[in-house]
Amino acid sequence: MSKALRPKNIVIYGLLAPGLAVFVLCCIAPLFVAVYNSFFDWDGGPVKRFVGFQNYAELVQDRAFWSAFKNNLTFIFWTVLGQIGIAFLIAMLLQSRILKFKNFHRTVIFFPVVLSAVVVGFLWRIMYNSEYGIVNTLMRAVGLGNFIQLWLDNPDIVIGSLAIPKVWQFIGYYLIILLAAIQGIDQSVLEVAELDGATGWKKSRYIVVPLIKNTLMVTIMLCISGNMKTFDQIFVMTGGGPGTSSEVVALYAYNVSMNRMRYGYGSTAAIGILILSLGLIMLSRLAGRKKEEE
Amino acid sequence: MKKAWDMFQGVVANAFVSLFSITCIFPIIWMIYSSLKTDKEFSLNILSLPAKPEFGNYARAITEGKIGSYFVNSMFNTLSALVVVLVISFITGYCISRFRFKGRTFIYYMFLSGMLIPIYALLIPIFVEFKTLGLLNKKFTLILPYIAFALPTGVFLVESSVESVPIEVEEAACIDGSSFINTMFRIVMPMCKPVLSTVAILTFLHTWNEFPLALVLIRSNALKTMPIGLTNFVGAYTVNYPLMLAALVVSTLPVVIMYLLFYNQIMKGMTAGAVKG
Repeated sequence: MSKALRPKNIVIYGLLAPGLAVFVLCCIAPLFVAVYNSFFDWDGGPVKRFVGFQNYAELVQDRAFWSAFKNNLTFIFWTVLGQIGIAFLIAMLLQSRILKFKNFHRTVIFFPVVLSAVVVGFLWRIMYNSEYGIVNTLMRAVGLGNFIQLWLDNPDIVIGSLAIPKVWQFIGYYLIILLAAIQGIDQSVLEVAELDGATGWKKSRYIVVPLIKNTLMVTIMLCISGNMKTFDQIFVMTGGGPGTSSEVVALYAYNVSMNRMRYGYGSTAAIGILILSLGLIMLSRLAGRKKEEE
Repeated sequence: MKKAWDMFQGVVANAFVSLFSITCIFPIIWMIYSSLKTDKEFSLNILSLPAKPEFGNYARAITEGKIGSYFVNSMFNTLSALVVVLVISFITGYCISRFRFKGRTFIYYMFLSGMLIPIYALLIPIFVEFKTLGLLNKKFTLILPYIAFALPTGVFLVESSVESVPIEVEEAACIDGSSFINTMFRIVMPMCKPVLSTVAILTFLHTWNEFPLALVLIRSNALKTMPIGLTNFVGAYTVNYPLMLAALVVSTLPVVIMYLLFYNQIMKGMTAGAVKG
């Protein structure tokens, strides 16, 4: 770029300053605030007591925190399986010649993605209602009445019941990503495979999956980080209950800080969450890379 | 024989996907028509259509539930954040893409790292920070983090789109006597319209739907946003489902309108970052 076009450095920094200020205030500074406060015992009042690494020692041994993390993992397992599994199946069908109204299906299936988690949570809470819920009404109508459960009040299945709305909401998102990848495959490859007799399951398993492996890895990573941050939906559907059987880490940190007023320990939990989430993402990335080398 | 089998397969596949599409949209349609029923009608048959559309639920949600005030607050936050995000993302993306200056790479990666930092981990730290700085419970409180969390995607998208604007355009403008600021806003910015509209749509949807920050940073009822208002409202009227559904419909309305107008762009925009990143 010619000199005449380039403004002085001071102008550039001046232009960047407002954005940087807001970003640092809300994204970077809180990290340091969290690290600082994690060394204190503090209930929000004027007295802050320095406790060193005591909060961290407590967090490592905190049963409630780890059981919440286990809930996160269970939730992630079901949602990844449901979202990517179903999205892949629908994407395979949508790219085949036999399907009609493809654009209509795409647009309709994507729609729930734009809804807020709060609306989805409340809507499903009503749908799960034992007397007035559509879920039970439909199950009775098709003769599955015996399988009806206390969807949100049974500690053994509550995580699964919470995962279903999440799966329902985000299938469209992964569908669009996978569909784009599948449509990017050279059509002649698929045609040759079909001539050689690879159809249905075989075509998916041996031709399509290997060819879109990179995209699949990206979707799995997105799926893990997307479901790790589930907070709103669980907050409005069960509030972590019954008991603490559906509490997830974000909800736990929220309760510790806002309800029990332990801001120091809450900050420690926040750092724990940050480390665990980044760890999970790294782990899935590593697993993906290892697979590629094989 | 083979032809009959193919046809059968086609019918099954079409039926399956159609059924799936219905499952995706039916809860929304059910929510809308059920909100027009009376409480009595709803408890008699939860699936039937309303005999006579009843708008009383909406009137009650607005007068008793203060849904109107929550709606206005959410709109104010969303539109303010939207305008600022557009301007700042454009300026930042443009400067990072066009100029080499000290700290450029650092600034770029700092913004990008924002995509990796999970908001829910920052929830309590932001609360503590805002409490210390006395920023809680103000009219602009939520706008600040909403801007900050929308910037990484915005900067990233603008930066890669400015790259494709030929520099000759700016040189020509300069020769014609256009000032730097004038060139940036009146010539380059319009050329980035497609990517800016994506940024606008994404920011609108995220900000309108945002819940956790609004939950911890705002205590005053007069400043609460739609998602928080909904939880208050539902807490107070748990037994009256049609009324609850009416409130849900009001809160979803802007998003539904956006989707009907821009569904192609929304699908592309929301998944673009994923595929590129």
